[in-house]
Amino acid sequence: MTGADLALFQMIKGAHLMNSRVICGALAALGTLSSGAVLAAGLATVDQRGLSFGVSSLSVAVGTIVTFQNSDTTSHNIIITGNGANLNSGLQAPGVAFRAPFPKAGTYQVICGIHPKMNMTVIVK
Amino acid sequence: MHGNRGAAAGFLCRLLVSAAGLIVLTAASLGNAGGEPAMRVDQGSAFFKDYQRPSAIPQPEDNPATADKIRLGKMLFFDPRLSHSGVESCATCHNPSLGWQDGLAKGVGDNGGTLNRRTPSILNMAWAGPMQWDGSASSLETQALVPMMSATEMAGTEQRVLALLNNVAAYREGMASIFPSQPITVANAVKLIAAFERTVVSGQAPFDRWLAGDASAMSPAAKRGFVVFNTKGNCAACHSSWRFTDDGFHDIGLPGDDPGRGQIMPGIIVLDHAFKTPTLRNIAQRGPYMHDGSQATLEAVIDHYDHGFIRRASLSDQVRPLNLTAADKADLIAFMNALTSEDPPVTLPVLPR
Repeated sequence: MTGADLALFQMIKGAHLMNSRVICGALAALGTLSSGAVLAAGLATVDQRGLSFGVSSLSVAVGTIVTFQNSDTTSHNIIITGNGANLNSGLQAPGVAFRAPFPKAGTYQVICGIHPKMNMTVIVK
Repeated sequence: MHGNRGAAAGFLCRLLVSAAGLIVLTAASLGNAGGEPAMRVDQGSAFFKDYQRPSAIPQPEDNPATADKIRLGKMLFFDPRLSHSGVESCATCHNPSLGWQDGLAKGVGDNGGTLNRRTPSILNMAWAGPMQWDGSASSLETQALVPMMSATEMAGTEQRVLALLNNVAAYREGMASIFPSQPITVANAVKLIAAFERTVVSGQAPFDRWLAGDASAMSPAAKRGFVVFNTKGNCAACHSSWRFTDDGFHDIGLPGDDPGRGQIMPGIIVLDHAFKTPTLRNIAQRGPYMHDGSQATLEAVIDHYDHGFIRRASLSDQVRPLNLTAADKADLIAFMNALTSEDPPVTLPVLPR
């Protein structure tokens, strides 16, 4: 790839080329999810690509931390609601992972606030 | 790239698939002023697949289309008796002669009052996400209902709509046939309107023919514009897919205090002053532009994105100074003109009395 090509590539992909960064759902903001649950029961990852979540539904055990990985070239803003939760990732730039703990059993709706056609369900058992 | 094109400069565009599997649109100066980008349309690539038209109109499970639904829905869409005054129909604002809009900067309500936002087109709504500029209607059925019952728009009432549906034999008998064993309801009436609206689909445009392999379907300027659209112009960041919209909501830095999507989903910074990305299909025929109708021409729209936006906390991170040249802008216009389809005239229904 030439220097000119690289410059264009960077222009197109923008922050996608940056090192992967992580936003963690702050526990203080998760009071509505549950404040006392064990959070390390498991890990799961959901890819965000092509303005879509990689799965439409995800079943996890109580306490699982789900990582939402923005593999798109545009920013997202994850909103998690349901079962008393109201979690907002804030702006999630390309390349950035958002980690959300699910310490309470129930069904949660996950959407991108910017692209609401992008939605999925997390079922915590 | 294009911005630095001098008298002896041109460019060659290539689509490459990197080792990581990313589709990368690249350009390199070849000294061919105003020339044609040597693009290879790889119809198997994800990049181009995203621009390809779907083969069928999607249908909701709870309201699959039938010929009778579409026929009756079309009548209702054009029937002004649904409004309070009896003179404003859905088609008054969504006029097929004006790109299913009204050609005005702001919509006009049944009482003659000016609405807060421009009338959006209903073109290709079968594929759309949340409807309205602020996404307040979750389905096309809801979208059909909201303006009908809005006091500032058609100012209809359930009583008035039901009276029309019950008193006009063609509506009464048609609904009884389509929805057997069900009472006549406004909810079923808007299902008919939505079924008709899903048939409002833009036809093949020069861009589609070029994508399908007809290299002569788009002018060299339009092809260059497609490159700018996907690279320097950053247009495709939001105007993506075959409809040229991500069905998303973005603050593009227009002045005004309209909260847009922020009023529907408060507390999310990037949704303040955010409005739905409109489709660019047939865009050259659908001015004025923006949610507030503030831009009279596509040239003005491009200038806005190039340097005319307001910087604020909610501004989309995709909106940034572009430093487009006059040639870039002309090429973008040429490309957007290539999104215009030559659709047959819409036949108006004869309304039953």
